[in-house]
Amino acid sequence: MAVSVPLEPVTDRGWLVGFGNMVDKEYASWWRTRRGLVHLLLWLTVINAFLFLVGTDESVARGHNPYETLAELIQVFLRVGGLFATIGVVVSTQSAVLGERQLGTAEWVLSKPLTRPAFLLSKLLVNGLSFLFLAVVIPTVVLYLQSLLHAWMQPPLVPFLGGLSLHVLHLTFYLAFTLVLGTLFRGRGAISGVAIGFLFAGLILPNFFPSLMEWLPWALPSLAALAGMERSLPDGWYLPVITTVLWTLLCVLVALWRFEREEF
Amino acid sequence: MSDTVIRTEKLTKSFNGVQALKSLDLEVPRNSIFGFLGPNGAGKTTTIKLLLGLVRPTSGSAAVFDHDIVGDTIDVRRRIGYLVQEPHYYEYMSAREILRFTARFFYEGPKESIAERVSDTLELVGLADKADRPIEGFSGGERQRLGIGQAQVNKPDLLILDEPAASLDPMGRRDVLAIMEKLREHSTVFYSTHILDDVQRVSDTVAILNEGELIAQASIEELLAGSRGTVYAIELRGDAAAARARLRDQSWVADIHVVPDTDTVEWHVSVSDDRAAEEQLLRLMLADEQTTVTRFGRLTYKLEDVFMDLVEGNGNGS
Repeated sequence: MAVSVPLEPVTDRGWLVGFGNMVDKEYASWWRTRRGLVHLLLWLTVINAFLFLVGTDESVARGHNPYETLAELIQVFLRVGGLFATIGVVVSTQSAVLGERQLGTAEWVLSKPLTRPAFLLSKLLVNGLSFLFLAVVIPTVVLYLQSLLHAWMQPPLVPFLGGLSLHVLHLTFYLAFTLVLGTLFRGRGAISGVAIGFLFAGLILPNFFPSLMEWLPWALPSLAALAGMERSLPDGWYLPVITTVLWTLLCVLVALWRFEREEF
Repeated sequence: MSDTVIRTEKLTKSFNGVQALKSLDLEVPRNSIFGFLGPNGAGKTTTIKLLLGLVRPTSGSAAVFDHDIVGDTIDVRRRIGYLVQEPHYYEYMSAREILRFTARFFYEGPKESIAERVSDTLELVGLADKADRPIEGFSGGERQRLGIGQAQVNKPDLLILDEPAASLDPMGRRDVLAIMEKLREHSTVFYSTHILDDVQRVSDTVAILNEGELIAQASIEELLAGSRGTVYAIELRGDAAAARARLRDQSWVADIHVVPDTDTVEWHVSVSDDRAAEEQLLRLMLADEQTTVTRFGRLTYKLEDVFMDLVEGNGNGS
C-alpha cells in the first residue's frame, strides 16, 4: 500500500509568487491545445509559402544570379514576413489580458496566492517565446531549406542572425505594446486598432518626419533586412535599437503598474 | 490564536464616487457558517472582493486571520478558498487539471500527494467519474461542484463562497449545502446568498447588508427571537370584546393586533414579559365564558420575515 507523503506548502515570498504555475498553465494553453498547431500552419503558409511563390517567380529566377535571389528571399522574409508576423503578434496577444478579464478567469486565479506581476509576466514570457518559436524560428529553418531550393545557397549565418535579432526585437516591442494596451483598454478593437495603427503609421509618418525613425521602432524592419543581407547599415543605426529596447521596457513597466491597480 | 477570522473596521469602497460599501464593521467567528445576506447590489460581492484583494478599499481596514487584506494579501489568500459567483475556468482543462493547477498555488509537492489530494477532492464533490473530461461540456451544477472543489482543494481555514447555490436546481442546492456542512468541520465558511431558506438551514451566524450598510449581525436564534419580540397567536370563536378588554388591562401585554381577512377571530398578542405571558395568557383566555379558544401558540418567524422587516425598515422596501 502506498504511503501518503505530506504535502509541502508553498512558502515563497516576493513579487513573483505563483509565476511557475502560471508559466506551466500558459505553456499548456499553447502546446496542449490546437493553438500551437494553428500558428505553425499559419506561419508556414503566410511566410514560407509566400517565399516559395517569390522564389519561383520568373522575375526573380530570370537573372539566375543566386546572390540576388537569396537577397530577395531574405528581404521578403524579414520585411514582408516581418509585417505579417507583427500583425500576428498583436492579434495573438490582444486577448491575453483582456480575454481573461472578460471571461472572469483573471478574477479566479488572482484570488489564489498569485501576484499580479507573476500573472502578467508569465503571459509576456510564454506568449513571446511560443510566438517567436512558431513565427520566427521554424520559418527561419524552413527558409534555410528553401534558399537551397531557390538559390542553391544559404543566408550567411552571422549577418542573418543579426537581422533576425532586430526582427525579434521589433516583435517583442509589439508584444509588450499590445500587452500594455490590454491593461488600458476594455475592447479588443481598441487594442488591435491602436497597435496596428501604430505599425502602419510607421509606413507613412516618417515620410513627413524622418527623425521619428530614430526614436521609434519603425526603422527596425529595414535595418533587419539590411543586416540579414550583409549590407552596410546607415549611420546611427543603433539609435532606434536602443530606443526600442527602452520603449519595450517602458511598456512592460507601465503594464505592471496599471495591472497592479486593476480591480476585478 | 484569535477567535475572529474576519474583522473589518469602517471598511468603505466607492466606485466613481458611488459608495458600494459604507463603513462596514464585521466580525466573523472561527468555525462558524456565516451567512452574508442582502438584496442584489447590497455590497456583498464587493466585501468579498475586498477581502481577497481583488479590489482596494477606499478607506477603513480589514484583517483575515490577523493579516491585513492590503499589505498581506498573499498571506490572506494562502488560507482562503474562494468560489466566485459565476465561476469560469480554462475550458481546455479537465476537472482534474483545474484542481491540480489550483493546488499548485498552495503546494510544491510531492506530485503524488498533490494527485491524491486532487482525487480526494473530486470524490468529495462527486466529480470523480468526470474528472478527465474537458470542462467545456460541464453543466451548471457540475461547474458549481468543481467550483467548490477548487475552493477547498487546499483545505482552507476560511472558505468564501459567493452565491454558491444561486444558479442551481433544488437537488444541486441540496448537494451544495451538504458539502458546506461537511466542510465546516475544518473551516470557517463565509458565504453570501439571498436564498434565505438555505441560510436558516445551515448557518449559525448571519449578517445583513443593505445599500452598503450593515443593518444586523447576530446568531440565527438571536435574530429570529429579537426581531419582533414575543408574539402569541390566538384563534377564537364567540364575542371577544370582553376578553380583549381584559387582556389590554394586563401590564405585560404590549399590543393586540387583530389579523384581518380571516373567517374566525385571530389575534397576535405582543408581550413584554415572557414569563407572565406563559403563566397567565392562556388561563385568562380560557376563563372567558363568551369565547372558545380554537388555537393558541407562540408565533415562530422565518428568516425571510426578519430579513424583509430589516431591509424594508432600512429604506429598501419599495
